[in-house]
Amino acid sequence: MVSAMLNQIGLGLILPLSVDQPVWLWLLLIIPVLSVLSVVSWRVLGAIQPARRTLAIVVRCLVIIVLALCLADVTYVRTTDKLTVFFLMDRSDSVKDLQQVQEEYLKTVGEQIKSKPDDRVGMIDFASNAYLQQLPMHGGYHVPVGRLPEMDYRDRTDVAAAIRLALAMFPHDSAKRIVLMSDGNDNMGNILMEAENAQAAGVQIDVVPLWYEHRNEVYFDKLVAPTRVSEGDVVPLRMLLHAEQGTSGHVDIYHNGRLIDIPREESRIQLRKGNNPFTVKIPVQGGGPQRFEARFVPSDPERGDSIEENNTATSFSFVAGKSKVLLLTMREEDDLALVEALAKENIDVEIRDVSSGELDLLDLMSYSVVILANVPANTFTSEQQMDIVNYVSNLGGGLIMTGGDESYGAGGWIGTPLAEVMPVHFEIKHKRVIPRGALAIICHSCEIARGNYWGTEVAKKSLETISSRDYFGVLTYSWSPGGVNWDVPLQIASNKSAIKNRIDKMVIGDMPDFDTTMKMAVKGLAATDAAQKHIIIISDGDPSPPVPSVIANMKKLKITCSTIGIGFGSHVMEASLIDIAKKTGGKYYPCRNPKKLPKIFVKESKVVRRSLISEERFSPQVQYAASEMLAGISSGEALPPLGGLVLTSPKDESQIALVRLGEDGVADPVLAHWQAGLGRSVAFTSGFWPRWGDAWVSWPQFSKLWSQIVRWSMRQDAPANLDVFTRISGNEGTVVVDAVDKDAGALNLLTLPGVIIKPDQQTEQLVFTQTGPGHYEAKFKVDQTGQYIANVAVNENGVSQGSIQTGVSVPFSPEFRELTTNVAMLEKVKDITGGRWHDDMSQAASHPIFDHDMPPTLAKEPIWEWMLAWILLPLFLLDVAVRRLASWLAFSIVFELVLMVVLLFGVGVIHGPWWGILGVIILVELVGWSMRFRSIGPLIESLTSNVAVLGQAGERSTASIGQLKGVRDRVQDERSTDASGKSTTKPSHKPDIDRGARFDVGDDAAKIDAGDLRESIDSGSAGKKDKPQAPKQPDRDATDGDDEDATSRLLRAKRRARRDMDDDQKT
Amino acid sequence: MMRISIPPIARLGLFAAICVCAFSGCKHDIESHDEVVAMFGRLGLGPGDFSYPRALTVDQHNRIYVVDKSARIQRFGPDGAFQVGWSMPERLAGKPVGIHVHDDGRVYVADTHYHRVMIFDADGNELARFGREGNGDGEFQLPTDVAVDKDGFIYVSEYNGNDRVTKWSPTYEFVSVICAGEVDGIVMRRPAAMDIDNENTLWVADACNHRILRFDLNGRYLSSWGEMGGEPGQLRYPYDIDCLDDGTILVCEFGNHRLQWFDREGKLIKYWGKQGRRKGELWAPWGAVGGIDGRVYVVDSLNARVQVLEN
Repeated sequence: MVSAMLNQIGLGLILPLSVDQPVWLWLLLIIPVLSVLSVVSWRVLGAIQPARRTLAIVVRCLVIIVLALCLADVTYVRTTDKLTVFFLMDRSDSVKDLQQVQEEYLKTVGEQIKSKPDDRVGMIDFASNAYLQQLPMHGGYHVPVGRLPEMDYRDRTDVAAAIRLALAMFPHDSAKRIVLMSDGNDNMGNILMEAENAQAAGVQIDVVPLWYEHRNEVYFDKLVAPTRVSEGDVVPLRMLLHAEQGTSGHVDIYHNGRLIDIPREESRIQLRKGNNPFTVKIPVQGGGPQRFEARFVPSDPERGDSIEENNTATSFSFVAGKSKVLLLTMREEDDLALVEALAKENIDVEIRDVSSGELDLLDLMSYSVVILANVPANTFTSEQQMDIVNYVSNLGGGLIMTGGDESYGAGGWIGTPLAEVMPVHFEIKHKRVIPRGALAIICHSCEIARGNYWGTEVAKKSLETISSRDYFGVLTYSWSPGGVNWDVPLQIASNKSAIKNRIDKMVIGDMPDFDTTMKMAVKGLAATDAAQKHIIIISDGDPSPPVPSVIANMKKLKITCSTIGIGFGSHVMEASLIDIAKKTGGKYYPCRNPKKLPKIFVKESKVVRRSLISEERFSPQVQYAASEMLAGISSGEALPPLGGLVLTSPKDESQIALVRLGEDGVADPVLAHWQAGLGRSVAFTSGFWPRWGDAWVSWPQFSKLWSQIVRWSMRQDAPANLDVFTRISGNEGTVVVDAVDKDAGALNLLTLPGVIIKPDQQTEQLVFTQTGPGHYEAKFKVDQTGQYIANVAVNENGVSQGSIQTGVSVPFSPEFRELTTNVAMLEKVKDITGGRWHDDMSQAASHPIFDHDMPPTLAKEPIWEWMLAWILLPLFLLDVAVRRLASWLAFSIVFELVLMVVLLFGVGVIHGPWWGILGVIILVELVGWSMRFRSIGPLIESLTSNVAVLGQAGERSTASIGQLKGVRDRVQDERSTDASGKSTTKPSHKPDIDRGARFDVGDDAAKIDAGDLRESIDSGSAGKKDKPQAPKQPDRDATDGDDEDATSRLLRAKRRARRDMDDDQKT
Repeated sequence: MMRISIPPIARLGLFAAICVCAFSGCKHDIESHDEVVAMFGRLGLGPGDFSYPRALTVDQHNRIYVVDKSARIQRFGPDGAFQVGWSMPERLAGKPVGIHVHDDGRVYVADTHYHRVMIFDADGNELARFGREGNGDGEFQLPTDVAVDKDGFIYVSEYNGNDRVTKWSPTYEFVSVICAGEVDGIVMRRPAAMDIDNENTLWVADACNHRILRFDLNGRYLSSWGEMGGEPGQLRYPYDIDCLDDGTILVCEFGNHRLQWFDREGKLIKYWGKQGRRKGELWAPWGAVGGIDGRVYVVDSLNARVQVLEN
């Protein structure tokens, strides 16, 4: 309470200061204590003059005050009438037709700020996430008004996130207003809670409602298909259609993407207002997942069914069938031998060209094993890579990777999620000398939006995919001296996290020319021992092209260079970029979508990883003969030779069945396998049929070995006694498991580890709770549009019995279920924060968005660092100086210097005009010379004479007590001498030096009666009068005298202590 | 003879002062003492605000025109007060990097990414435009600057593989190529700025070769000077050049964040500026020009302001 009072009274009224942690102001209580102590123990400072004594106490008190303020986080407070307005613009699907309206509103309202030069405007776009488009800035909009921003994830609305972001971004020194443009249909966050936070922070939220009402809307509420069916079954599809008004239409049904031919008369439906259930039966053939899609087509589209997206629903079922293998390849002819060998062993293989790009998790679930036959990482999107990982780890699928010039580390798989599930490291862990690659990136991405972000992202992506034995460096034109710099010096990428930290600190500048940068890159690459040296340039082509000699030098040094042209429209100066790539043997990539950049970089980075390919003929050796894959294969017979492999390193827990034994004793994995989560994965580092494996293809055991590899990897069948399905209600999904034994009795107390894979490939563990006999349920949050696939593993007596899958599809965003503006919600937000309602957007020009009608804002500016540096530290120096520097001359010089440094550099006069500096010098000199002429000392002395008198009184009291103690000591000495009959060395009571030269207790004081304090005070006054009569002595002598006296006192005390000890021993 | 006693501390101070004066005198004898007498502009899009300003020019009334990366041209009074502003007609592809105002008050803008020159009056009304994209005669590739001689002939510099200076008639017809390709043994790279002095000499800042070239108005090469470096007298990306009334050549260095004054033979007279955010410091300046009042105006690009120097 006291501290709060101090905060209010001491700072708020006297100075425009405030403190954030007032508890530290309790330290100020030290000051009165210190003052009392100083008065009482005035004698302690007896070696210096009274004025200096007072100054010392004052300085010490100031030190404590400033220290307390610094610790209390002192801030400078001022009122301001500036205003900052944040526009929050709803970009979600529910208001997708109202984007231009918002832009127009923004444009009209923005005219007002032209007359408010000190006001600031910020901008945030939001849907399921909030994106800061413009920091609060003066002058209006920096982002072009009228833009329709490209945003991901518009399928949800999180108004709360947008308000939260705005609150975090408001400057502290202005009034704060949010203008929320939205339909109020928030389906993710807690909007009211954030509104209360805004109110607490003094932020007003004005609302501009986005109006709409879909009166005749029809939407699919549900499409339900049974989770598991048998081949040849007829699947009942249950549909629930919601209609706002009675209407009619027909439903088209698609099965695995193919329209089912249903006569129009049979598919025609009549809808009444409200929910309308229907059921359609579809026969299914073949195994794997069956996808169903139903589309409602209104008879009269003109009647107002305006949202097309919600007329479609999807669902899927799993059909148990024969296990199949999916082989993904880029060159089918290379893998035909393998396909034929597996066919011989009655294994169905489907070959798919990986460049078709069609692959998702549901697709993968149709297969028991997936073979990646010499395919590079960049042929898959990051989502597809995660699908493969989830397929293996969480759905129990099998994965086999075969080698070649595009696989493993050579295929850009280093650092990908897939590398985690494979039984070998794609990096070379053992110490072997292999040719290195070297990659230099020249980054000039500042010309595109978020250029710095994309520049750092692509650099990091490239780094991830190269081997930690390769060289890596990034060059930019930065603003540091010299311009062109290795932001990441060319180095072996052994410590990738440290390099990433450096990449994050890059600030990419506006590069004038390629020449200087490329010369530096070439020089750096030429100095390495790398076998492959490659440069990647990312730019809009604006910098001047390199001189021909640079290109010639690159050719001579076999340094290749690929270029990526980024930008918009004609702004990309492609000619020079194409020319550089063409002349150096690289490639040119036009890129208009920055999101594609990382993929291009992964592809390009591959150039330096050719060193991981070892093309020497060798005979594989069996290392782990007990491997199930080698059963009946490795019976002493030598395996046929292979023409090469991709270098990898074994993982600790993997089984290495076959190896290549090198001359250096290192065993390179050829065939390795392990359990990866619920699934299994196999690495065969050779392959590349028939180039590397011509002898294997003709080997009689080839088909047997590969059939055993594939069968070992296959996903285990699910037990038949489990019934699993998934349902969704609102934002929550439920996976339901019904377990019965062979006699149809409920299976209770089962442990069911489960996982749900969400549309964004993220997984969430399912926690099953038994809610009835043999009935288990697990909940999960539904916050995305797409397919949710759940896998439930079954363990019986600790033994895995396989797993069972289920899933559900969320066909469209809840945004398309919102049929009207949520006025109630918007009004609540407005009311909570005291905002205003701007209903009519056509009157935007008159909306008082930039009116300064909010209470004045207190702007706080932390100044504790400044106080620490420019007040506390100088005071500390003065505190030392005032006690330790005996002469006024020395002290005044120190004072002068400190004052000058503080005024020039602390206050910043040095950056001002010359007369300011001159003024400071004059002021400082005046103060200094005043001190030297002793005009300050006496002034302080006269001002503080009462304190001095009190101090001297205390001093005399102390001295009197000291004298009494002395008398007692003498008596004790005499007694001890009499008792022992020996004379000990008596302490000398005669002063050794002239007492007149020091402010200490003189002999006269000993005569003063200790009980007569009044007399002591009078005597003190008299003593002051006597002071000028004291013989003049240099200060140094006085100090020495004091030291001598202190020593003799210490000696006397020591002797007394020794005598006391002797007395104790005698008694 | 009376002996003057100097206290030890004073002796030490005197010694230190002598040392400081001696060393500073050695190093900075040509450092300019020009003082920043005014500064205007801040980051923003409002009137008087800048978003990465990249070129400026001063007219006969000492009014300052600044073009920035929001494709706006703003005119300021001699006191730095905003007067009028206008935007380029198109800006999506890129923004202008060069501006020049002739004695007749016409404002010539090198509309870089639209490969043309645009001409406005002092209030922003378009008077004419000429040029199109290409490498041939009468075509441009990323024009960087415009200069106009006493007879009204227009000179346009450009780059991006078409690094040259071309001459145009007062009626905007192509006349000739003043310089292109190899000049003094080095191929020109990014002629970023030009100016014509009182002796009808065309000065060209060959930015990526870090040198200054001199031609007569018919394209006859006269001389060149400059080498890359950060020391006084050396150049790093000279992005602007201006011939001052006293015959000195003012060079604005983007790469060294400073201004340098040379005589006509390339001898350094003085330099000013260092990298920084404070008053009197520069950050990636793109342009500098001398006013008729003898002051120097420098566009401090990354600091989004114009600083005004006076000797």
